[in-house]
Amino acid sequence: MSEIAGQEIDMDTKEPVVSGAAVTILVEGQPVEARRGQMLAATLIASGRFVMRRTRRSGSPRGLFCAMGICYDCVMTINGRAGIRACMTKVEDGMQVSYPVRFKAYPRKT
Amino acid sequence: MSFRIDTEVAVVGAGPAGLSAALAASAAGARVAVLDEYPEPGGQFYKQLPVEFQVPDRAALDEDYTKGDALLGAVRAAKVELSNETLVWGSLEPGVLSVVRSGVAGIVRARTIVVASGAYERAVAFPGWDLPGVMTPGGAQTLVKNQRLAPAGRIVLAGSGPFLLPVAKSLIAAGAKPAAIYEATRPREWLRHAPRLWGHWERIGEALQYRRLISNAGVPVTFGRIVVRAEGAESLERVVSMKCDGEGRPLPGTGQVERADTLCVGYGFVPSVQLTRLLGCDHRYEPRRGGWVPGYDEAMETSVAGIFVAGEVAGIGGAYAALAEGTLAGLSAARRIGYRVADADLSATRQKREARRRFGDLVNDIFALKPGFYDPIGDDTLVCRCEEVTAGQIREAATEWGADVNFVKGVTRCGMGYCQGRICGDMVEELTARAVGCDREAVGAFRVRSPLKPVQVSTLADLAGQ
Repeated sequence: MSEIAGQEIDMDTKEPVVSGAAVTILVEGQPVEARRGQMLAATLIASGRFVMRRTRRSGSPRGLFCAMGICYDCVMTINGRAGIRACMTKVEDGMQVSYPVRFKAYPRKT
Repeated sequence: MSFRIDTEVAVVGAGPAGLSAALAASAAGARVAVLDEYPEPGGQFYKQLPVEFQVPDRAALDEDYTKGDALLGAVRAAKVELSNETLVWGSLEPGVLSVVRSGVAGIVRARTIVVASGAYERAVAFPGWDLPGVMTPGGAQTLVKNQRLAPAGRIVLAGSGPFLLPVAKSLIAAGAKPAAIYEATRPREWLRHAPRLWGHWERIGEALQYRRLISNAGVPVTFGRIVVRAEGAESLERVVSMKCDGEGRPLPGTGQVERADTLCVGYGFVPSVQLTRLLGCDHRYEPRRGGWVPGYDEAMETSVAGIFVAGEVAGIGGAYAALAEGTLAGLSAARRIGYRVADADLSATRQKREARRRFGDLVNDIFALKPGFYDPIGDDTLVCRCEEVTAGQIREAATEWGADVNFVKGVTRCGMGYCQGRICGDMVEELTARAVGCDREAVGAFRVRSPLKPVQVSTLADLAGQ
């Protein structure tokens, strides 16, 4: 069974863009590889993490929806600040990302 | 800590309309500042790569990137102040905008303001549309074009409108070929608009190019089919679609299930009018151009003196109309504060703008929203994603409290969450109007309040001394 995750576009063939330098962020304490310049939401999708928060009332999973800072469905706790949009926040080395406290079960898609 | 910008023309939004407005106003002699919420200017159409990414050979990029370069280059050369990561969240007095730039509060004073805040995608709900893996076509476009990341797994692209074409193109180029594309309209329905296509050869050529690219890639395109349900446990697993009739209503017995990890679905665009509403401009309901739009005169000036609009915020019309309209608004704004602008320049720009708006209207007519698109919204279907309000609750509130979306908002809390009704607003208006049996004008629109987007209280506190 192969893991389903976002694929970085193949760099060797025709890709004229070189992503930023490799950095490591911590998602719930787990190291995740990222690229400078990448939005946190893209890093998470690239690592198979589709679920970015759960709703207050029903606990439903939510992920990236508009990717342009409108819908606020990808808000996460970043470096201790709650309610920050993963689609509008560039990753930084050592960035600490966590899910809202109430829900801890955030599966990776396999 | 706080900052302040004093300028003559403040332009809100750095997309095609905002950038061309800035360039025009600056060419007329005015001092211009452009305020934009994103890290890089260009808006959604001229979306730039992150500055941290390297492009060894810019010419090797496809034209979607390079066609924004000339405009951005000219804006930079014109010494226009480009203020990125700058959110305009309020206006406490005329001519003064409250902003936050990278977490720092600021004030922008300007003699005239051009609002070029663009648009966002129209979401039409169906059961399961809140599952992770379901996103807007623009969301997928951003992942590919800005982040150079192909969305995951098996992809279905659906909804309606010309925007599905460039998104399909991007996905194919990124090696993430959609498994299926569903366009809700049918080519034979387009035919009655055919005579109006005469003369728009460049745009027609563009559309044919997209069409060829998609069919060469072997992506199956089905017309007259809409998504009625998304299913999955923790994220999207299956997309259920149905054939629809000419009114967009799903036809019983035509259900089809497609395995999918990513569903990109959207039904055109809604003008982003939060700021023009906050500034007190009059708005009118113009369904053909996406819904509520600010009124404006032939100089693109709104009902509030000194406030101009350009591009999608003034009504959906596409990037080419936005470019010409931006120029018109920029010239007019400069003229408004005493800079000399030749009448010939103004009228030439106006003509260009009108031709392009005509084409925009034609496209809008071809892909007009159909009433049946709202049929998959059952009483249990979530409409307000933030506050988790269902269609049933909205219908009940509308029936009980009357035909005013602000009553419905007050009773159900729909539109009171983080996104402040941007995603559900259009739908809540539609559902309210249908529940009560009146037209959209009568139910109105959600009132806007500052801050237009969430702002940290600690950031606001920094403004106290200003």
